[in-house]
Amino acid sequence: MDSWVRFSSQSQAKERLFRAAQYACTLLGYTFQKSGASPDLVAKIKQLEAHMSLGRKLFRLGNSADALEAAKRGMHLSDSVLRLCITVAHLNRAMYFACDNVLWAGKAGVVRKLDQDKWSQRSFRYYLFALIMNLSRDVYELSLLMEREPRGPKGSSACSSPVSESREAAPGSGLDPNALPQRLRAQLLLLATVLRCNPPLLLDLVKNTCDLFIPLDRLGLYRTNPGFVGACGLASSLLSILTIIYPWLKLKP
Amino acid sequence: MEYFVTFTNQSQGRDRIFRAAQYGSALLIYLLKNKSGRQKLIKKLQSLESNMSTGRKLFRLGNTVSAINAAKRTLHLEDPVLRLCLTVANLNRSLYFLCDNILWARSIGLVTNMDKERWRVHASRCYFVSLLMNLTRDLYGIYQAMEREAQDKQYRQKVSQHRSDGRDVACVAVLNLQTLLLLLYHSLRCNPSILLDTVKNACDLFIPMDRLGIYKTNPGVVGLCGLMSSILGILTLMKPSFKLKP
Repeated sequence: MDSWVRFSSQSQAKERLFRAAQYACTLLGYTFQKSGASPDLVAKIKQLEAHMSLGRKLFRLGNSADALEAAKRGMHLSDSVLRLCITVAHLNRAMYFACDNVLWAGKAGVVRKLDQDKWSQRSFRYYLFALIMNLSRDVYELSLLMEREPRGPKGSSACSSPVSESREAAPGSGLDPNALPQRLRAQLLLLATVLRCNPPLLLDLVKNTCDLFIPLDRLGLYRTNPGFVGACGLASSLLSILTIIYPWLKLKP
Repeated sequence: MEYFVTFTNQSQGRDRIFRAAQYGSALLIYLLKNKSGRQKLIKKLQSLESNMSTGRKLFRLGNTVSAINAAKRTLHLEDPVLRLCLTVANLNRSLYFLCDNILWARSIGLVTNMDKERWRVHASRCYFVSLLMNLTRDLYGIYQAMEREAQDKQYRQKVSQHRSDGRDVACVAVLNLQTLLLLLYHSLRCNPSILLDTVKNACDLFIPMDRLGIYKTNPGVVGLCGLMSSILGILTLMKPSFKLKP
């Protein structure tokens, strides 16, 4: 019970829980609708989802300041690629939260005559840019680790190399073009090894990938269905809760 | 801005700000009620108040566990009066949160066959008892502070000097009252956390008293009291030295 109290006293932790519940409702609502459940039940689940969404929007008021502070901190990173990706990601997050606050004001009735669709599209666009920058950062970290990783039988266990230490590019070896499938297999094996030995990076990559489907669907760039969006949102929320419970799983910086 | 971010990162910090906004809206609605041409603004304030109330209820889900945990901790306090007051207060708070969660479920339509008024009365009753226990603890804290202050040598010198100026019975009675008030003033000045907690709980008390019909005021007074207690709550979060311990 002590751990629940510690967990829930963090503002972010409860918000993540409700995000998980909200997307679980999306998934459940879609599943029940497809399986022909009673319209009453589906309506209740949709109503719960809407309330969670609005409640979360309320508690996100002020998150723009948080994102701007994070962007300020990101500007002092030594690695230029990381500096760019993280700062731009946080700035886009700040814009996303600003649009989200306007949407809350519209839904709460504080601001009348608000074009909800326009502001919703805007917020998802910023959210998409932020996710793309986060994914770029993940791919950059991954490429650094793969370059650093020793190849062949001489190579000792790669698990001791944390992400922050890998800043030197290892020289590439000359390769026979006829051994392309073999090379691809080796690269995939290397990728799997690097990800296995760097759980924070793996978690962040999977989380951002899952999240990506949400704005892609809402902006019409890659339409899936509410069930899939719900599943992705639920998965990314659970991973995010994991990083709160186990802070060592959080990718730094 | 960093300070704002640290403050709002605490779950309680945000809740206090929204509570202040909620009761502030209630107060403004009452003040603007009879003014013509303010109907649109009143509607917006009503939307804002209702939205804040529902949102805060959502984020209070799970607070029952926190309150029970707090009750478990206060069971181990040495002082029997503090142990009793705080444990009973925390237990009532946990019951209040439970009723509040049920009311939330009702307000969003998850639960339909439910007497909303009855559960509101239950919630207000638990909140009222919890506040009474907190006020009892505050009064006990003030009494202890006054005892400590009275034993302080410097203070006793001041009082005896003050007393030696007056002679007859009526003067002595007035002087005794003055001495008591002086003692109270000194104790509260040296213990701002008790003063803050007492004022906060006293303000909060008007809310359930109005809801339960024990002391009916009006929505304006309820709004003002709620706003004041929220601001004092924000102060104790901003300056942890103002928080009364345990």
